[in-house]
Amino acid sequence: MQKDLEIKFLSDFETNQNIAHKICRVYTTNRDAHNDLFQEITIQLWKNYPKFRGDAKFSTWMYRVALNTAISLYRKSTRTVKTQDISDFAYKIKATDYDDTEEKQLGALYKAIHRLNDIDKALIFLYLEDKPYKEISETLGITSVNARVKMNRAKEKLKNILNP
Amino acid sequence: MDVLENYKKAWVNQPEEQSKHSTKEIYKLAHSKSSSIVKWIFIIGILEFLFWGALSFVVPDSFYKVYEELNLTGFLKIFTVLHYIIITIFLYLFYNNHQRVSLTDSTRKLMKNILRIRKTVKYYVFYNLATVFLVSIVLNVVLFSDSEKLMQTMNPNNLAIDMSQIITITIVSQVIALIIILVLLWLFYKLVYGILLRKLNKNYKELARLDALN
Repeated sequence: MQKDLEIKFLSDFETNQNIAHKICRVYTTNRDAHNDLFQEITIQLWKNYPKFRGDAKFSTWMYRVALNTAISLYRKSTRTVKTQDISDFAYKIKATDYDDTEEKQLGALYKAIHRLNDIDKALIFLYLEDKPYKEISETLGITSVNARVKMNRAKEKLKNILNP
Repeated sequence: MDVLENYKKAWVNQPEEQSKHSTKEIYKLAHSKSSSIVKWIFIIGILEFLFWGALSFVVPDSFYKVYEELNLTGFLKIFTVLHYIIITIFLYLFYNNHQRVSLTDSTRKLMKNILRIRKTVKYYVFYNLATVFLVSIVLNVVLFSDSEKLMQTMNPNNLAIDMSQIITITIVSQVIALIIILVLLWLFYKLVYGILLRKLNKNYKELARLDALN
């Protein structure tokens, strides 16, 4: 039984691991921290897997556990945001151009997200992942009306960082 | 169109992670050690418990002579037993909190549990500081209630100092010692648990603030 469960978990997680990687990118700014968080997410997913009843999609459940891990658990936070380097700045200017390549937009987006607080990061991440408000509210444990209000504030903040 | 929609497109089209893990690697990761804050609070609690426990074995018998002279051995024994019972209760609470934190809960519920952990830790620190304070009060009351014993304890070499001087010196030195010990302990707890709790605290405040907007 345990063995079957484990095989199922491993294959489910392997196919959905990109979700965890994206969360790591949102919450960390260097490779080491990324790997640390990824490891912690893996541990927590496996630890909580017996409680996963399968009435939701694996990926939905994974969003919740992985985000909560990122929000609440220890991670090597690299508080280097204060000293903004030149490339960061260049990204920001270019990103305001609409013709810019998606790659640069993505870079600017990540830089901006890194400056949000942990909860706003989660909100924006779920928005970018195109999650419905129902799912967002369930993940965060707030009403969906509330989720909307919060989302709008988080988006406003993000816009201000992207286009000051 | 919302300016963010543009970025969203870039987000959706972002390349997949390059260094993907195989099932074998995931297996290894899943079975490695967790570094969660809650777990560390629990572990440090146990270490502390063991440390103070071990210390009482190391302290030489002569240290307890003072208590004997003051007829406080009984008090000390009862107090020690009580102290360990309370510490055990705290350890149980830490463990319970540790078990209760489930990441499958909604973020808000998780934060509520985290708040509970913070409270437990805070009470634990207060309890420890209060104990030091109370024990020293008891010691002083006993000491001052019997001037002969006070003379004996504080002036074992029978130096020619009068009573009022002894009392002044005793009070001043006790107060200074007590303050130093309390500050040192407070700093110790602040350092050990402060670092662990800071992160949890920050996130909790964030969520509480969001909640207040509702």
